[in-house]
Amino acid sequence: MLVRTPATLIHEPRRPAVWRGRAGIVVQRLALLALALAVWQLGALHAPSFVLPSPARVWSAWTGLVAQPSFGRDLGITLGRIGAGFLLAALVGLPLGIILGASRRLGSFFEPTLTVINTVSSSIWAIFALIWFGLSNWTTIFVVFMTAMPLILTNVWQGTRTVSAEHLELARTFRMPRRKVLTKIYLPTILPTFFSGARLAFGFGARVSLVAESLGASSGVGYRLRQAADLVQTDQVFAWTLTLVTLMICLESFALKPLEQHLFAWKKKAQP
Amino acid sequence: MNAVELDRVSKWFGRRDGAPLHVLDAIEIAIPEHAIVAILGSSGCGKSTLLNMIAGLVEPDDGAVLLNGIPSHAFRDWRSMTYMFQEDRLLPWRTAAQNVSFGLEAGSLGRIERERRVEETLSLVGLAGFRDAYPHELSGGMRSRVALARSLVTEPKILLLDEPFSKLDPAIRAQMHAELLRIAELRAMTLVFVTHDVEEAVVLANRVVVLHPRPGRIAEICDIALPYPRDPLSEAVTEAVRRLRISLSSARG
Repeated sequence: MLVRTPATLIHEPRRPAVWRGRAGIVVQRLALLALALAVWQLGALHAPSFVLPSPARVWSAWTGLVAQPSFGRDLGITLGRIGAGFLLAALVGLPLGIILGASRRLGSFFEPTLTVINTVSSSIWAIFALIWFGLSNWTTIFVVFMTAMPLILTNVWQGTRTVSAEHLELARTFRMPRRKVLTKIYLPTILPTFFSGARLAFGFGARVSLVAESLGASSGVGYRLRQAADLVQTDQVFAWTLTLVTLMICLESFALKPLEQHLFAWKKKAQP
Repeated sequence: MNAVELDRVSKWFGRRDGAPLHVLDAIEIAIPEHAIVAILGSSGCGKSTLLNMIAGLVEPDDGAVLLNGIPSHAFRDWRSMTYMFQEDRLLPWRTAAQNVSFGLEAGSLGRIERERRVEETLSLVGLAGFRDAYPHELSGGMRSRVALARSLVTEPKILLLDEPFSKLDPAIRAQMHAELLRIAELRAMTLVFVTHDVEEAVVLANRVVVLHPRPGRIAEICDIALPYPRDPLSEAVTEAVRRLRISLSSARG
């Protein structure tokens, strides 16, 4: 907590002041951003705008995009589909992973199904979804679900292997019913692995949702991306892409990371 | 009535190759209420299996375990008996109070009554000020106190201990022994503990059962009538320790 290791005390003064601490990180990030913009600008000077539009052009396309009322609607629709698919995946993957992990018999019986599901690519799920659900919300939700659920399930399942036999034996001496053992010992133990699995699954789900939408939807960001591509509006494609990237970064650093830090405070402190 | 009675109990462990391993042979012990009984033996003499059998975690292959006169397979009042392990086995994601509460959560007690009992038990073991500390913030001795509180919070009549406090350093261990004796008397509990430490057996127990290994069988049952608290350095204690050491080592010949 307040303990500083001697190593940091020795090394810290050697580095230039700019690179240290929170402010140093901000400086580094801004430098990286400036570098990326410069390379982009340089590239744009030597390529036609339908191949690589300049940063300024993308900026104006983006401000135009945001001004349209359909912008918020499309973004909301896509986020809603991702959220629904992800939520369903967590609701199925978490309990199923705990149950399969806690029961050796069920686990070894169902193990092959996971391998099969994991080998089917998301685009194949998108094709199936298109056949089964047509142009509807459920196509995207299904693809997000089929991508995210096995990831969450696998992580939770792996997490159950870290459940301590000593803790299970302790519960047994108190004659704790099976159901309570699952919620009071298995669940807290696997929560960290569940969380990292869920973050991974959310990222994958968000990415494949666009593929699903470009194939089987008549609204949403994926649909707009495809529309822009068909009309060779490369600046629009860039504008949407930047929107999504920014959104994901914000979600990661302002929602997921603080939540994780809060949930696993007991763990952080345990490692000096 | 005896709190625990072992009636010619035998146990074999199945082995993948060859004949089953004979672990315990015709063990016969009667443990009266409020007694403090040590089961003393070297490692591999089946003493932990014996304790697990009293706790109903292992079934005897022959003979019977009687708890308050009821055969263990028909016994239902398991909350009146708790088990303390060699390690503290605290859940790292729970605070001291929440860890103590774990002992009650198998049952159906309401939250308010649970909290009341947790507070009371934490004060009993001298940890009232540490209710919100996580296990990694506590010293080894304090963690042992939390584990003890977790075993006491159900207000058991019988407390079983498997090499209690053996991982603690000697000074803290002596403190925990004194604490255990104080609480056992206060709550009128019966204690049954297994140990390989002769001195621990003599300092705590009023009856010591010496086991000889392979298969585990009773070599001697020895009553220790010394007054408490017992000073490990006093002549009476060292004499009892010496006598039991001889009894123990005669098994190895």
